[in-house]
Amino acid sequence: MYVLGIESTAHTFGVGIVRDGEVLSNEKDVYKPETGGIIPTEAAKHHYALAAEITERALKRAGISLENIDLFAYSQGPGLLPSLKAGWVATRFLAEKFKKKIVGVNHCIAHIEIARMVTGFEDPVMLYVSGGNTQIVTYDKENRKYVVFGETQDIGVGNLLDKVGRKINLPFPAGPKIEELAKRGKKYLRLPYSIKGMDVSFSGMETFLSRIIAEEKIEDLCFSLQETAFSMLIEASERAMAYCKKDSLVIAGGVAANARLNEMGSIMCKERGAKFKFMKREYAGDNGAMIAYTGYLMKNYEQGDLRPKPSFRTDSVEILYR
Amino acid sequence: MRIIARGAEAIIYERGDTIIKFREKKGYRIPEIDALLRTSRTRYEFKILQTCARAGLRVPLPIKIAGDNDKILMQNLGGISFDSVFSVKKMREVGELVALMHNLGVIHGDLTTANMLSKENKIFLIDFGLGYFSKKDEDIATDIFLLKSALKSRHPDEHMSAYELFIEAYKTVIEKEFKGIAAHLKDIERRGRYHENG
Repeated sequence: MYVLGIESTAHTFGVGIVRDGEVLSNEKDVYKPETGGIIPTEAAKHHYALAAEITERALKRAGISLENIDLFAYSQGPGLLPSLKAGWVATRFLAEKFKKKIVGVNHCIAHIEIARMVTGFEDPVMLYVSGGNTQIVTYDKENRKYVVFGETQDIGVGNLLDKVGRKINLPFPAGPKIEELAKRGKKYLRLPYSIKGMDVSFSGMETFLSRIIAEEKIEDLCFSLQETAFSMLIEASERAMAYCKKDSLVIAGGVAANARLNEMGSIMCKERGAKFKFMKREYAGDNGAMIAYTGYLMKNYEQGDLRPKPSFRTDSVEILYR
Repeated sequence: MRIIARGAEAIIYERGDTIIKFREKKGYRIPEIDALLRTSRTRYEFKILQTCARAGLRVPLPIKIAGDNDKILMQNLGGISFDSVFSVKKMREVGELVALMHNLGVIHGDLTTANMLSKENKIFLIDFGLGYFSKKDEDIATDIFLLKSALKSRHPDEHMSAYELFIEAYKTVIEKEFKGIAAHLKDIERRGRYHENG
Protein backbone atom coordinates (compact mmCIF):
# COMPACT_ATOMS: atom_id res chain seq x y z
CA MET A 1 0.00 0.00 0.00
CA TYR A 2 1.33 3.42 -1.02
CA VAL A 3 0.51 6.46 1.10
CA LEU A 4 1.35 10.02 0.13
CA GLY A 5 1.51 12.47 3.04
CA ILE A 6 1.47 16.26 2.94
CA GLU A 7 2.78 18.46 5.72
CA SER A 8 1.97 22.17 5.75
CA THR A 9 1.21 23.31 9.29
CA ALA A 10 3.71 26.20 9.39
CA HIS A 11 6.61 27.23 7.17
CA THR A 12 7.47 23.79 5.77
CA PHE A 13 5.74 22.25 2.79
CA GLY A 14 6.68 18.59 2.72
CA VAL A 15 5.60 15.54 0.79
CA GLY A 16 6.50 12.02 1.81
CA ILE A 17 5.65 8.63 0.39
CA VAL A 18 5.62 5.34 2.27
CA ARG A 19 5.05 1.80 1.05
CA ASP A 20 3.56 -0.41 3.74
CA GLY A 21 5.05 1.90 6.35
CA GLU A 22 8.50 2.08 4.78
CA VAL A 23 9.65 5.57 3.78
CA LEU A 24 10.40 5.85 0.06
CA SER A 25 10.78 9.60 -0.20
CA ASN A 26 10.66 12.72 1.91
CA GLU A 27 10.86 16.02 0.05
CA LYS A 28 10.32 19.50 1.38
CA ASP A 29 10.81 23.19 0.98
CA VAL A 30 10.87 25.73 3.76
CA TYR A 31 9.43 29.23 3.48
CA LYS A 32 11.91 31.78 4.76
CA PRO A 33 10.74 35.33 5.35
CA GLU A 34 13.18 37.95 4.13
CA THR A 35 12.91 39.91 7.34
CA GLY A 36 11.19 39.23 10.64
CA GLY A 37 9.16 36.17 11.53
CA ILE A 38 6.71 33.97 9.69
CA ILE A 39 3.79 35.70 7.94
CA PRO A 40 1.04 33.06 7.68
CA THR A 41 -0.40 34.22 4.36
CA GLU A 42 3.07 34.47 2.82
CA ALA A 43 3.90 30.96 4.02
CA ALA A 44 0.67 29.73 2.43
CA LYS A 45 1.55 31.43 -0.87
CA HIS A 46 4.88 29.62 -0.80
CA HIS A 47 3.08 26.32 -0.22
CA TYR A 48 0.59 26.81 -3.08
CA ALA A 49 3.40 27.80 -5.44
CA LEU A 50 5.55 24.78 -4.66
CA ALA A 51 2.97 22.06 -3.97
CA ALA A 52 3.08 20.51 -7.44
CA GLU A 53 6.84 20.63 -7.73
CA ILE A 54 7.53 19.03 -4.35
CA THR A 55 4.89 16.37 -4.95
CA GLU A 56 6.54 15.51 -8.26
CA ARG A 57 9.94 15.35 -6.61
CA ALA A 58 8.63 12.95 -3.97
CA LEU A 59 6.98 10.73 -6.59
CA LYS A 60 10.10 10.68 -8.72
CA ARG A 61 12.31 9.74 -5.82
CA ALA A 62 9.88 6.99 -4.80
CA GLY A 63 9.81 5.79 -8.40
CA ILE A 64 6.04 5.78 -8.66
CA SER A 65 3.29 7.93 -10.13
CA LEU A 66 0.16 9.41 -8.63
CA GLU A 67 -1.97 6.55 -9.98
CA ASN A 68 -0.13 4.20 -7.62
CA ILE A 69 -1.12 6.07 -4.47
CA ASP A 70 -3.75 4.21 -2.43
CA LEU A 71 -4.29 6.76 0.30
CA PHE A 72 -3.68 10.48 0.79
CA ALA A 73 -2.76 11.76 4.23
CA TYR A 74 -2.41 15.35 5.27
CA SER A 75 -1.45 17.27 8.35
CA GLN A 76 -4.80 18.45 9.66
CA GLY A 77 -3.42 20.55 12.54
CA PRO A 78 -2.48 22.12 14.83
CA GLY A 79 -1.01 24.95 12.85
CA LEU A 80 -1.57 28.19 11.01
CA LEU A 81 -4.85 28.13 9.12
CA PRO A 82 -3.58 29.61 5.83
CA SER A 83 -0.73 27.08 5.74
CA LEU A 84 -2.99 24.19 6.69
CA LYS A 85 -5.43 25.13 3.95
CA ALA A 86 -2.72 24.80 1.31
CA GLY A 87 -2.11 21.19 2.30
CA TRP A 88 -5.83 20.50 2.51
CA VAL A 89 -6.54 21.96 -0.93
CA ALA A 90 -3.73 19.96 -2.53
CA THR A 91 -4.78 16.74 -0.79
CA ARG A 92 -8.43 17.12 -1.65
CA PHE A 93 -7.61 17.85 -5.27
CA LEU A 94 -5.48 14.71 -5.57
CA ALA A 95 -7.84 12.45 -3.66
CA GLU A 96 -10.83 13.55 -5.72
CA LYS A 97 -8.96 13.23 -8.98
CA PHE A 98 -7.82 9.70 -8.22
CA LYS A 99 -10.89 8.77 -6.17
CA LYS A 100 -8.90 7.76 -3.10
CA LYS A 101 -9.49 8.13 0.61
CA ILE A 102 -8.07 10.98 2.72
CA VAL A 103 -6.78 10.60 6.25
CA GLY A 104 -6.37 13.67 8.48
CA VAL A 105 -3.28 13.33 10.66
CA ASN A 106 -2.50 15.17 13.88
CA HIS A 107 0.84 16.89 13.38
CA CYS A 108 2.14 16.29 16.93
CA ILE A 109 1.18 12.60 16.84
CA ALA A 110 2.97 12.28 13.49
CA HIS A 111 6.13 13.60 15.14
CA ILE A 112 6.04 10.92 17.82
CA GLU A 113 5.09 8.12 15.40
CA ILE A 114 7.98 8.83 13.06
CA ALA A 115 10.26 9.15 16.10
CA ARG A 116 9.18 5.71 17.31
CA MET A 117 9.76 4.28 13.85
CA VAL A 118 13.17 5.87 13.37
CA THR A 119 14.56 5.21 16.87
CA GLY A 120 12.89 1.86 17.44
CA PHE A 121 11.77 3.05 20.89
CA GLU A 122 8.50 1.37 21.73
CA ASP A 123 7.10 3.84 24.22
CA PRO A 124 9.16 7.03 24.53
CA VAL A 125 8.51 10.39 26.07
CA MET A 126 8.79 12.98 23.31
CA LEU A 127 10.07 16.46 23.90
CA TYR A 128 8.60 18.33 20.97
CA VAL A 129 10.25 21.68 20.46
CA SER A 130 9.56 24.01 17.56
CA GLY A 131 8.67 27.63 17.01
CA GLY A 132 5.03 27.35 17.93
CA ASN A 133 5.04 24.10 19.89
CA THR A 134 6.78 23.12 23.08
CA GLN A 135 5.22 20.01 24.52
CA ILE A 136 6.10 16.85 26.35
CA VAL A 137 4.01 14.09 24.89
CA THR A 138 3.67 10.46 25.81
CA TYR A 139 1.31 7.56 25.29
CA ASP A 140 -1.43 6.84 27.77
CA LYS A 141 -2.01 3.14 27.33
CA GLU A 142 -5.17 2.95 29.38
CA ASN A 143 -6.96 5.61 27.39
CA ARG A 144 -5.30 4.81 24.09
CA LYS A 145 -4.35 8.40 23.58
CA TYR A 146 -1.27 10.53 23.34
CA VAL A 147 -1.33 13.03 26.15
CA VAL A 148 0.43 16.34 26.55
CA PHE A 149 2.12 15.89 29.89
CA GLY A 150 3.78 19.24 30.03
CA GLU A 151 4.05 22.25 27.80
CA THR A 152 4.85 25.90 27.63
CA GLN A 153 2.40 28.16 29.35
CA ASP A 154 3.20 30.97 26.97
CA ILE A 155 5.55 30.95 23.97
CA GLY A 156 7.30 28.03 22.29
CA VAL A 157 11.04 27.70 22.83
CA GLY A 158 11.72 28.24 19.11
CA ASN A 159 9.69 31.40 19.32
CA LEU A 160 11.78 32.52 22.31
CA LEU A 161 14.97 31.96 20.30
CA ASP A 162 13.55 33.88 17.34
CA LYS A 163 12.35 36.77 19.48
CA VAL A 164 15.73 37.14 21.14
CA GLY A 165 17.42 36.61 17.78
CA ARG A 166 15.50 39.46 16.23
CA LYS A 167 16.66 41.80 18.98
CA ILE A 168 20.28 41.01 18.22
CA ASN A 169 19.69 41.11 14.46
CA LEU A 170 19.98 37.42 13.66
CA PRO A 171 18.19 35.99 10.62
CA PHE A 172 15.06 33.84 11.03
CA PRO A 173 15.10 31.13 12.27
CA ALA A 174 17.61 32.29 14.87
CA GLY A 175 18.26 28.91 16.53
CA PRO A 176 21.31 27.80 14.50
CA LYS A 177 23.07 31.16 14.85
CA ILE A 178 22.33 31.31 18.59
CA GLU A 179 23.80 27.83 18.92
CA GLU A 180 26.98 29.01 17.20
CA LEU A 181 27.30 32.12 19.36
CA ALA A 182 26.53 30.15 22.54
CA LYS A 183 29.61 27.99 21.98
CA ARG A 184 31.75 31.06 22.50
CA GLY A 185 29.86 32.22 25.59
CA LYS A 186 31.70 31.90 28.87
CA LYS A 187 29.90 33.87 31.49
CA TYR A 188 26.62 32.55 32.81
CA LEU A 189 24.08 35.31 33.28
CA ARG A 190 21.44 34.28 35.75
CA LEU A 191 18.09 34.20 33.95
CA PRO A 192 14.59 33.46 35.23
CA TYR A 193 14.18 29.70 35.46
CA SER A 194 10.48 28.94 35.35
CA ILE A 195 9.14 25.44 35.68
CA LYS A 196 5.80 24.61 37.22
CA GLY A 197 5.27 20.90 37.55
CA MET A 198 5.88 19.70 34.04
CA ASP A 199 5.02 23.01 32.43
CA VAL A 200 7.54 25.65 31.51
CA SER A 201 7.25 29.34 30.83
CA PHE A 202 9.54 31.48 28.71
CA SER A 203 8.03 34.95 28.55
CA GLY A 204 9.73 36.02 31.81
CA MET A 205 13.09 35.05 30.36
CA GLU A 206 12.35 36.95 27.18
CA THR A 207 11.47 40.13 29.08
CA PHE A 208 14.53 39.78 31.28
CA LEU A 209 16.83 39.24 28.31
CA SER A 210 15.52 42.24 26.43
CA ARG A 211 16.38 44.37 29.46
CA ILE A 212 20.01 43.25 29.70
CA ILE A 213 20.67 42.84 25.98
CA ALA A 214 22.58 46.11 25.60
CA GLU A 215 24.84 45.52 28.60
CA GLU A 216 26.10 42.01 28.00
CA LYS A 217 28.13 40.21 25.38
CA ILE A 218 25.97 38.52 22.77
CA GLU A 219 27.88 35.24 23.17
CA ASP A 220 27.17 35.19 26.90
CA LEU A 221 23.51 36.03 26.31
CA CYS A 222 23.12 33.17 23.82
CA PHE A 223 25.00 30.76 26.08
CA SER A 224 22.91 31.65 29.12
CA LEU A 225 19.69 31.59 27.13
CA GLN A 226 20.35 28.10 25.78
CA GLU A 227 21.58 26.67 29.05
CA THR A 228 18.62 28.02 31.01
CA ALA A 229 15.86 27.25 28.52
CA PHE A 230 17.18 23.78 27.72
CA SER A 231 17.75 22.91 31.38
CA MET A 232 14.10 23.69 31.97
CA LEU A 233 13.01 21.51 29.05
CA ILE A 234 15.21 18.59 30.05
CA GLU A 235 14.14 18.86 33.66
CA ALA A 236 10.48 18.82 32.63
CA SER A 237 11.16 15.83 30.37
CA GLU A 238 12.85 13.98 33.20
CA ARG A 239 9.94 14.68 35.48
CA ALA A 240 7.56 13.28 32.87
CA MET A 241 9.72 10.18 32.45
CA ALA A 242 9.86 9.62 36.21
CA TYR A 243 6.17 10.22 36.66
CA CYS A 244 5.01 8.04 33.76
CA LYS A 245 7.73 5.43 34.35
CA LYS A 246 8.99 5.64 30.76
CA ASP A 247 12.54 4.70 29.94
CA SER A 248 13.30 6.45 26.67
CA LEU A 249 13.34 9.99 25.32
CA VAL A 250 13.19 11.43 21.83
CA ILE A 251 13.49 15.07 20.87
CA ALA A 252 11.56 16.27 17.83
CA GLY A 253 10.71 19.56 16.15
CA GLY A 254 12.88 22.25 14.61
CA VAL A 255 14.83 22.95 17.82
CA ALA A 256 15.77 19.24 17.96
CA ALA A 257 18.52 20.16 15.49
CA ASN A 258 20.38 21.84 18.37
CA ALA A 259 23.37 19.72 19.41
CA ARG A 260 23.52 21.08 22.96
CA LEU A 261 19.87 20.22 23.61
CA ASN A 262 20.52 16.68 22.40
CA GLU A 263 23.62 16.41 24.53
CA MET A 264 21.65 17.43 27.60
CA GLY A 265 18.90 14.94 26.81
CA SER A 266 21.47 12.23 26.33
CA ILE A 267 23.24 12.94 29.65
CA MET A 268 19.95 13.09 31.54
CA CYS A 269 18.92 9.71 30.14
CA LYS A 270 22.29 8.16 30.86
CA GLU A 271 22.18 9.32 34.48
CA ARG A 272 18.79 7.77 35.04
CA GLY A 273 19.48 4.60 33.09
CA ALA A 274 17.15 5.50 30.24
CA LYS A 275 17.61 5.36 26.49
CA PHE A 276 18.19 8.27 24.17
CA LYS A 277 18.74 8.51 20.44
CA PHE A 278 19.51 11.53 18.35
CA MET A 279 17.07 11.98 15.52
CA LYS A 280 18.22 13.09 12.12
CA ARG A 281 17.00 16.51 11.11
CA GLU A 282 15.13 15.04 8.15
CA TYR A 283 12.74 13.31 10.56
CA ALA A 284 13.02 15.57 13.59
CA GLY A 285 11.79 18.67 11.80
CA ASP A 286 8.45 19.05 10.03
CA ASN A 287 8.32 16.62 7.13
CA GLY A 288 5.93 14.83 4.80
CA ALA A 289 7.17 11.32 5.60
CA MET A 290 5.86 11.50 9.14
CA ILE A 291 2.41 12.37 7.80
CA ALA A 292 2.50 9.57 5.22
CA TYR A 293 3.73 7.09 7.83
CA THR A 294 1.09 8.07 10.40
CA GLY A 295 -1.51 8.08 7.61
CA TYR A 296 -0.49 4.51 6.90
CA LEU A 297 -0.98 3.57 10.56
CA MET A 298 -4.40 5.24 10.43
CA LYS A 299 -5.42 3.67 7.13
CA ASN A 300 -8.53 2.08 8.57
CA TYR A 301 -9.79 5.18 10.38
CA GLU A 302 -13.21 6.47 9.46
CA GLN A 303 -13.09 10.20 9.98
CA GLY A 304 -15.91 12.68 9.74
CA ASP A 305 -14.70 16.23 9.35
CA LEU A 306 -11.48 16.34 7.40
CA ARG A 307 -11.10 20.09 7.18
CA PRO A 308 -8.07 21.76 8.83
CA LYS A 309 -8.13 22.11 12.61
CA PRO A 310 -5.76 24.94 13.63
CA SER A 311 -6.07 23.93 17.29
CA PHE A 312 -6.12 20.17 16.82
CA ARG A 313 -5.53 18.62 20.25
CA THR A 314 -3.02 15.83 20.63
CA ASP A 315 -5.25 14.00 23.11
CA SER A 316 -8.36 14.15 20.93
CA VAL A 317 -7.32 11.27 18.67
CA GLU A 318 -8.12 7.75 19.74
CA ILE A 319 -5.18 5.50 18.90
CA LEU A 320 -6.56 2.31 17.39
CA TYR A 321 -3.37 0.91 15.90
CA ARG A 322 -1.16 0.52 18.99
CA MET B 1 19.76 4.18 55.60
CA ARG B 2 17.45 2.97 52.89
CA ILE B 3 16.44 4.59 49.60
CA ILE B 4 12.67 4.75 49.53
CA ALA B 5 12.18 6.82 46.41
CA ARG B 6 14.15 8.18 43.55
CA GLY B 7 12.36 11.10 42.01
CA ALA B 8 13.34 13.14 39.00
CA GLU B 9 15.45 15.55 41.05
CA ALA B 10 16.04 14.00 44.45
CA ILE B 11 16.69 10.78 46.29
CA ILE B 12 14.64 10.14 49.37
CA TYR B 13 16.28 8.13 52.14
CA GLU B 14 14.71 6.75 55.25
CA ARG B 15 16.70 6.58 58.46
CA GLY B 16 14.52 5.45 61.32
CA ASP B 17 11.95 8.12 61.97
CA THR B 18 13.71 10.61 59.70
CA ILE B 19 13.39 11.21 55.99
CA ILE B 20 16.35 12.67 54.14
CA LYS B 21 15.76 14.40 50.86
CA PHE B 22 18.93 14.80 48.86
CA ARG B 23 19.01 16.82 45.66
CA GLU B 24 21.38 15.11 43.28
CA LYS B 25 23.77 16.80 40.92
CA LYS B 26 22.56 16.78 37.34
CA GLY B 27 25.27 16.36 34.77
CA TYR B 28 23.21 17.81 31.95
CA ARG B 29 23.21 21.34 33.31
CA ILE B 30 26.18 23.63 33.82
CA PRO B 31 27.51 23.77 37.42
CA GLU B 32 26.27 27.35 37.87
CA ILE B 33 22.66 26.42 37.19
CA ASP B 34 22.97 23.08 38.97
CA ALA B 35 24.31 24.51 42.22
CA LEU B 36 21.87 27.38 42.16
CA LEU B 37 18.83 25.16 41.68
CA ARG B 38 19.87 22.54 44.21
CA THR B 39 20.73 24.85 47.08
CA SER B 40 18.03 27.44 46.50
CA ARG B 41 15.37 24.79 46.17
CA THR B 42 16.57 23.03 49.32
CA ARG B 43 16.50 26.20 51.41
CA TYR B 44 13.23 27.32 49.95
CA GLU B 45 11.55 23.97 50.43
CA PHE B 46 12.65 23.91 54.05
CA LYS B 47 11.13 27.32 54.63
CA ILE B 48 7.87 26.29 53.03
CA LEU B 49 7.68 23.15 55.15
CA GLN B 50 8.31 25.28 58.23
CA THR B 51 5.54 27.70 57.28
CA CYS B 52 3.06 24.90 56.71
CA ALA B 53 4.06 22.93 59.79
CA ARG B 54 3.81 25.97 62.08
CA ALA B 55 0.29 26.61 60.83
CA GLY B 56 -0.67 23.04 61.66
CA LEU B 57 -1.05 21.85 58.09
CA ARG B 58 -0.64 18.13 57.46
CA VAL B 59 2.91 18.03 56.07
CA PRO B 60 6.07 16.22 57.24
CA LEU B 61 7.65 18.23 60.06
CA PRO B 62 10.97 19.77 58.96
CA ILE B 63 14.02 19.05 61.16
CA LYS B 64 17.03 20.75 59.57
CA ILE B 65 19.06 21.47 56.44
CA ALA B 66 22.21 19.39 56.08
CA GLY B 67 24.98 18.49 53.69
CA ASP B 68 26.07 21.14 51.22
CA ASN B 69 22.73 22.90 51.51
CA ASP B 70 21.36 20.03 49.44
CA LYS B 71 19.74 17.84 52.11
CA ILE B 72 16.56 18.29 54.08
CA LEU B 73 15.91 16.19 57.16
CA MET B 74 12.26 15.80 58.00
CA GLN B 75 9.79 13.66 59.89
CA ASN B 76 9.11 10.19 58.51
CA LEU B 77 5.35 10.04 58.23
CA GLY B 78 5.04 6.51 56.94
CA GLY B 79 1.69 6.11 55.22
CA ILE B 80 1.19 5.28 51.57
CA SER B 81 0.92 7.26 48.37
CA PHE B 82 -2.55 8.65 47.79
CA ASP B 83 -2.01 7.84 44.13
CA SER B 84 -2.19 4.13 44.87
CA VAL B 85 -5.22 4.34 47.20
CA PHE B 86 -6.96 7.09 45.26
CA SER B 87 -10.61 7.62 45.98
CA VAL B 88 -12.86 10.39 44.76
CA LYS B 89 -14.42 11.04 48.14
CA LYS B 90 -11.05 11.94 49.67
CA MET B 91 -10.83 14.83 47.21
CA ARG B 92 -12.97 16.90 49.58
CA GLU B 93 -10.23 16.69 52.18
CA VAL B 94 -7.63 17.47 49.51
CA GLY B 95 -9.61 20.55 48.51
CA GLU B 96 -9.67 21.81 52.10
CA LEU B 97 -5.99 21.09 52.63
CA VAL B 98 -4.89 22.83 49.44
CA ALA B 99 -7.05 25.85 50.25
CA LEU B 100 -5.49 26.08 53.74
CA MET B 101 -2.07 25.95 52.12
CA HIS B 102 -3.01 28.70 49.67
CA ASN B 103 -4.36 30.78 52.57
CA LEU B 104 -0.83 30.65 53.99
CA GLY B 105 0.53 32.02 50.73
CA VAL B 106 2.15 28.75 49.76
CA ILE B 107 2.03 27.41 46.21
CA HIS B 108 2.94 23.73 46.02
CA GLY B 109 4.18 23.82 42.43
CA ASP B 110 3.73 20.13 41.75
CA LEU B 111 0.31 19.19 43.00
CA THR B 112 -0.35 15.64 41.95
CA THR B 113 -1.91 12.72 43.78
CA ALA B 114 1.57 11.17 43.82
CA ASN B 115 2.66 14.04 46.08
CA MET B 116 0.07 13.21 48.71
CA LEU B 117 0.31 10.60 51.40
CA SER B 118 -2.52 8.77 53.03
CA LYS B 119 -1.94 7.92 56.66
CA GLU B 120 -4.57 6.75 59.13
CA ASN B 121 -7.17 7.86 56.62
CA LYS B 122 -5.80 11.41 56.56
CA ILE B 123 -4.20 13.12 53.58
CA PHE B 124 -0.77 14.75 53.96
CA LEU B 125 0.92 16.99 51.41
CA ILE B 126 4.51 16.11 50.61
CA ASP B 127 7.28 17.15 48.23
CA PHE B 128 7.32 20.92 48.18
CA GLY B 129 10.34 20.80 45.91
CA LEU B 130 8.81 23.15 43.37
CA GLY B 131 6.89 25.17 45.93
CA TYR B 132 7.01 28.92 46.35
CA PHE B 133 5.43 31.74 48.27
CA SER B 134 2.74 33.69 46.46
CA LYS B 135 -0.79 34.87 47.00
CA LYS B 136 -1.36 35.81 43.38
CA ASP B 137 -4.52 34.48 41.79
CA GLU B 138 -2.55 33.38 38.77
CA ASP B 139 -0.13 31.27 40.81
CA ILE B 140 -2.94 29.73 42.81
CA ALA B 141 -4.74 28.93 39.57
CA THR B 142 -1.59 27.29 38.18
CA ASP B 143 -1.45 25.03 41.22
CA ILE B 144 -5.06 24.00 40.75
CA PHE B 145 -4.55 23.56 37.04
CA LEU B 146 -1.64 21.19 37.66
CA LEU B 147 -3.74 19.09 39.98
CA LYS B 148 -6.53 19.02 37.44
CA SER B 149 -4.13 17.85 34.71
CA ALA B 150 -2.66 15.22 37.03
CA LEU B 151 -6.12 13.92 37.89
CA LYS B 152 -6.91 13.69 34.22
CA SER B 153 -3.80 11.72 33.37
CA ARG B 154 -3.55 9.59 36.51
CA HIS B 155 -7.19 8.93 37.28
CA PRO B 156 -8.89 9.42 33.91
CA ASP B 157 -12.13 7.61 34.71
CA GLU B 158 -12.90 9.65 37.78
CA HIS B 159 -11.16 12.91 37.13
CA MET B 160 -14.30 14.94 36.50
CA SER B 161 -16.06 14.04 39.73
CA ALA B 162 -12.78 14.16 41.64
CA TYR B 163 -12.10 17.69 40.44
CA GLU B 164 -15.65 18.84 41.13
CA LEU B 165 -15.48 17.63 44.70
CA PHE B 166 -12.07 19.21 45.12
CA ILE B 167 -13.30 22.61 43.93
CA GLU B 168 -16.46 22.44 46.01
CA ALA B 169 -14.45 21.90 49.20
CA TYR B 170 -11.74 24.33 48.16
CA LYS B 171 -14.23 27.16 47.77
CA THR B 172 -15.51 26.73 51.31
CA VAL B 173 -12.04 27.20 52.81
CA ILE B 174 -10.18 29.61 50.55
CA GLU B 175 -10.12 33.13 51.97
CA LYS B 176 -9.57 34.91 48.69
CA GLU B 177 -12.45 35.48 46.37
CA PHE B 178 -12.66 32.46 44.12
CA LYS B 179 -13.86 34.45 41.12
CA GLY B 180 -10.40 35.87 40.45
CA ILE B 181 -8.79 32.44 40.70
CA ALA B 182 -11.42 30.95 38.39
CA ALA B 183 -10.77 33.62 35.76
CA HIS B 184 -7.06 32.79 35.75
CA LEU B 185 -7.81 29.08 35.59
CA LYS B 186 -9.82 29.66 32.43
CA ASP B 187 -7.06 31.80 31.03
CA ILE B 188 -4.36 29.18 31.65
CA GLU B 189 -6.44 26.49 30.02
CA ARG B 190 -7.11 28.71 27.04
CA ARG B 191 -3.54 29.73 26.34
CA GLY B 192 -2.04 26.45 27.45
CA ARG B 193 -3.63 23.36 26.03
CA TYR B 194 -4.99 23.52 22.53
CA HIS B 195 -8.70 23.74 22.16
CA GLU B 196 -10.66 22.36 19.29
CA ASN B 197 -12.54 25.57 18.67
CA GLY B 198 -9.87 27.95 19.88
